[in-house]
Amino acid sequence: MRPFLYDRAASTESAPRAFDGLKEASLIQGRAPAEYLAGGTTLLDLMKLDVMQPARVVDITPLEPQHGSIAISDAGLRLGALVKMSTAADHPAVIKTYPVLAQSLTLAASAQLRNMATLGGNLLQRTRCNYFRDTSWSACNKRNPGSGCAALDGLNRQHAILGASQDCIATYPGDFAQALMALDATLDIAGPSGSRTIPIATLHKPPGSTPHIETTLAPGELITALSIPAGPWTRRSLYLKIRDRQSYEFALASAAIALHLDGDTVKDVRIALGGVASVPWRARDAEASLIGKPLNEATATAAARMAFVGSAPRTHNAYKVTLGQKTVVRALLQAATLEG
Amino acid sequence: MVDAAAPAPKANMGDPVPRYDARAKVTGSALYASDVALPDVAYAFLLSSAIAKGRIKSFDLREARALPGVLDILTHENIGEAIRKVKFFTEGGPASNSILPLGSAEIAYGGQTIAVVLANTYEVARDAAHRVKVDYEVDRPTATFESPGAVDQELATQNKKHDDPKVGDFAAAYATAPVKIDVAYSTPAQHHNPIELFATQCGWNGSQLTVHEPSQNVYGLKNGLATQLGIEPSQVRVVSPFIGGAFGSKGALTQRTALVAIAARKLGRPVKLVPTREQGFTVATYRAETKHRIKLGATRDGKLQALSHDGFEVTSRPDPYAVAGTDASTRMYACPNITSNVTIVRADRSTPGFMRAPAETPYFFALESAMDELAVALAMDPVELRRLNDTMKEPIKSLPYTSRTLMPCFDQASEAFGWSKRNPQPGSMRDGDWLIGWGCATSAYPTQMAPATARVSLFPDGTARVEAASHEIGNGIYTVAGQTAAERLGVPVGKVQVLMGDTDLPPAPVSGGSISTASVCSAVAQACDAIRAKLGDNGTGAVPTVDLVATLKERGLGSVQEYAEWMPHGAAKGGMQMLYKGAAQPIGGAKLPDRIQFAFGAQFVEVRVHARTREIRVPRIVGAFASGRIMNTRTAHSQYMGGMIWGIGSALHEKTEIDANAARYVNTNLADYLVPVNADVVDVQVIMVPEEDTLVNPLGIKGIGEIGIVGTSAAIANAIYHATGQRLRDLPLRIDSLVEAA
Amino acid sequence: MPKDRDDTRPDSVSRRRFLGATASTAALPLMGAAAASQASAQALPPPDPQAPLDMRLTVNGEAYRLGLDVRTTLLDAMRDHIGLTGSKKGCDHGQCGACTVLVDGRRTLACLTLAVAVQDRAVTTIEGLARADGPLHPMQQAFVDHDAFQCGYCTPGQIMSAIGCVKEGHADTDDAIREYMSGNICRCAAYPNIVAAVRQAKTQMEG
Repeated sequence: MRPFLYDRAASTESAPRAFDGLKEASLIQGRAPAEYLAGGTTLLDLMKLDVMQPARVVDITPLEPQHGSIAISDAGLRLGALVKMSTAADHPAVIKTYPVLAQSLTLAASAQLRNMATLGGNLLQRTRCNYFRDTSWSACNKRNPGSGCAALDGLNRQHAILGASQDCIATYPGDFAQALMALDATLDIAGPSGSRTIPIATLHKPPGSTPHIETTLAPGELITALSIPAGPWTRRSLYLKIRDRQSYEFALASAAIALHLDGDTVKDVRIALGGVASVPWRARDAEASLIGKPLNEATATAAARMAFVGSAPRTHNAYKVTLGQKTVVRALLQAATLEG
Repeated sequence: MVDAAAPAPKANMGDPVPRYDARAKVTGSALYASDVALPDVAYAFLLSSAIAKGRIKSFDLREARALPGVLDILTHENIGEAIRKVKFFTEGGPASNSILPLGSAEIAYGGQTIAVVLANTYEVARDAAHRVKVDYEVDRPTATFESPGAVDQELATQNKKHDDPKVGDFAAAYATAPVKIDVAYSTPAQHHNPIELFATQCGWNGSQLTVHEPSQNVYGLKNGLATQLGIEPSQVRVVSPFIGGAFGSKGALTQRTALVAIAARKLGRPVKLVPTREQGFTVATYRAETKHRIKLGATRDGKLQALSHDGFEVTSRPDPYAVAGTDASTRMYACPNITSNVTIVRADRSTPGFMRAPAETPYFFALESAMDELAVALAMDPVELRRLNDTMKEPIKSLPYTSRTLMPCFDQASEAFGWSKRNPQPGSMRDGDWLIGWGCATSAYPTQMAPATARVSLFPDGTARVEAASHEIGNGIYTVAGQTAAERLGVPVGKVQVLMGDTDLPPAPVSGGSISTASVCSAVAQACDAIRAKLGDNGTGAVPTVDLVATLKERGLGSVQEYAEWMPHGAAKGGMQMLYKGAAQPIGGAKLPDRIQFAFGAQFVEVRVHARTREIRVPRIVGAFASGRIMNTRTAHSQYMGGMIWGIGSALHEKTEIDANAARYVNTNLADYLVPVNADVVDVQVIMVPEEDTLVNPLGIKGIGEIGIVGTSAAIANAIYHATGQRLRDLPLRIDSLVEAA
Repeated sequence: MPKDRDDTRPDSVSRRRFLGATASTAALPLMGAAAASQASAQALPPPDPQAPLDMRLTVNGEAYRLGLDVRTTLLDAMRDHIGLTGSKKGCDHGQCGACTVLVDGRRTLACLTLAVAVQDRAVTTIEGLARADGPLHPMQQAFVDHDAFQCGYCTPGQIMSAIGCVKEGHADTDDAIREYMSGNICRCAAYPNIVAAVRQAKTQMEG
């Protein structure tokens, strides 16, 4: 871990200033000027590994009074970005009305990590690819642009089969973002040049030829809130996470489902995939294939197949094509049995 | 309700006395090696090789050295041959491998320690290590089996002590056997991953060195380190009163200890090293990956006629390490025609080492899976197949088992499990979306011991003290040694002080091979009996016939102290001298000329496999074990249970992934090297089957620390076959292979 | 060797550490939260990130003043600088749970927490549950009763996590205990005994 300057943010407006004016300082040559620290569960982890080397760390936990509350209304759910994962997961209204959100949070990490990590930080969790996390591997385009990708012909059981590129096959490791994707959440963002609101679907960038650029956030921008619109699909929603062990493991494959049924007919459905893709992945073609149809083994299987069209498995992750489809089918059929 | 953790003792079992060190462990006052505060300590951080084969052309240390607080950086350029060679573990030496620490620019394996950064604080040492630049000359490394450059050698040509068990004419018998199978299995590399990291602290007081390091063999560490440093063993003290898990990883002298000792001498202040979890994968040893080919031939009614077991094991270039589990796997069942062979495969890897039931874990996965496959081929109940081939003599030399209670274990476990309700048809049992499978397997572990000593004192105030440099690795050795003394001296167990884990105490052997309780308690009992004799008690039973404390007071002797040296059956001459050198070898199992001694058990598991997505869970497991005298049903229960859960992890989760190109480990952390978590374990039932064995040692103790893991993985694979009809022959048993065929 | 208890009194340790290890920083003005933020203003010269910071930590109700590298985690601050070694380092990356402590009553991983960031928080460790020869906390006693450990290394983290688990209301069923205790790896695999211990202690803690 490199030395850094530690600041405690005084306000949402002043926090981004830590990102200014440091670019010229010799102190930070080749290093990110600053990073925000909230729960610390990704940042400190990667700083210890020397993967992240911010010159300045801006602790935004003092902003919790402004960005740490949960509000639920007829229009939807609004989650402060500094709400802890465990707080949102245990919130009775979230559990009742937005089960996919609560489940995606409860099934992630461990109780301790969920007590520490914030919702905003969770969205920005970085990949678990070991070639990225361990700096002794020289080839990692995400960590060191242009150096190559050791995972392509290395160990890639965990890696992405959707949305990957020839430069990076790392998997987006989180769960919560998929639930937000399924529910068309929007994010409030504060930054040096003011505030803006973006759809969650535009937050993460597929790796393409620039896997080191993971999000569309500009330097100094800060997620302040997450808004989830109400809809007839939120109650009949779930998050299914498949993994080797029962708990405390990243997904091999996962599916966030939100379903609106009219009798037996699908009026609307949202399918987002985790564990298999480079970014939180919305399976829109699969969704479209189900609209106006009954949800049964045949239609679910056809939709699942569609969700994995274009998947590009490597040596050790080919099982994810089958597993991912079966996960989607199981999740869809299970969602159909829920109370609307 | 009886507490499951403290079962009521049955015949030949001791009381479930709570652990001697329980309070220390639940209050955080038990001091592990890295907890000891040394004054003005400096911090060390290791730098590990990023290549598996080649050499270091140069270091650029400028940026690292320039950091304020950096004190020194050790590399081969300033250490070189300063550390003297000690022998490799299986050659009777203490070392985990035969590569000199920072001895040269040559790299023999990925993760090899190539530099030690020393600084005033941990934070600066870590930062500096990350700033060291290394210029390597890279050679193409060999990763594992079938990698380019892998060299196969028959073990017998590399290790003169190894003799492949054989009897009869396997080829002829197999050729004519009416029912036969020919199957191949594999097991992966695995790492112990005790939760305590491989910490070392060294401090010099003049020419006296004190080492705080978690060790399963403090005398081995002391003597080996003295040799490495060119000093007298009397100048080295190793202190290790609590070990935060070991499982074999802390038995050998690793490269780090001498480096920390030298660093402390150079700096003139104590040095603390706490390697990272990642570094632990190559600082210590591991269980190497293995492959197996098994052929079984049987009569139509299930009598074994022919058995062949070929094992293949990866090892390093310099050291011919092998576990050679054919020693046990060929001796489990009655069979007139047996052949076996062990081949080691040299790759550019660090030298493997002992890991919980080193030989039996992989070799019994193969044997007990094959027995299940044979039962399927015979359309026979797998329990009955074992019963039909049960034997009281091992088949290779027809030596008698000192005791063998295998079938009672099967019967009691199967009864508790409800095995009779099993429908043998694969895929026939189901609960909603979950396929249910039931499987079973034999567990066995050699009963071994080593020379041991103990010093016992009895005081007129009715207290006693036991001193022996054994190792509390979670096995409960403090507790059972104290119980032994309490019983034999007739004092309450709460009045016995037990001191261990310190080379200032009389030596005990390595705490490996499940030998500690049998060896150390035998020595303690012998010392107690000497005290009894001195105080006029000539009885030979466990309990004294006179009030020893009262006698002590009457005679006005003050305290009485006795030191005992205990030698097991079959121990080599000079074994006691070897013990003092930290090199006493465990003896027993199948290695005795006149008899064979093993503990046995049977395990039954229920697996659930999701009918669609195929994730595998083990909600229920029952194990019955007969291991001679049980000293304490509480600590024994925990040992068995822990072993069985290790078996679940070994079957389903644990695999150290090796990058085939780089020959380096990839998943070197606890998020990616999966071990069972609490939610993976639901119902574990341990049955202790009473067994009396008057031959193994005077107390009748067999070891129990390792048998729990043996056979579990086969039982789970067999249950998965029963659930799904799919036979998985490669560990770990994962969703990957199941889901494709579903 | 274990230090004499009198020597580990918070005051003497903090004073010794502060004056001894970091005398050079004693002259630095105390940088509070606001001061640190303002330090980024253009006019001031950039502060030296390698200079130790004056920190105040509250652990088990005792206040400690320490001069520490800004990079020091709460875990290392307690273990290496305060002398509270009950909390263990098992992975240093939030993967094992051995360092679990309570921060303002919530279970937290001390290894992924910067000491500087929790100066205004109340930290409780295993050492804060029972006095040297006093009665054990019900959770500690339950761990003894159910043999919920073997080597003991993960035990302080398990116990702190278990107390948090009960307080959070996640110990109502065995299944819940298993799930919500899964962040604490026990390599000796005492899991069923840990579940039994949490079940027992929950009754007493809530009784």
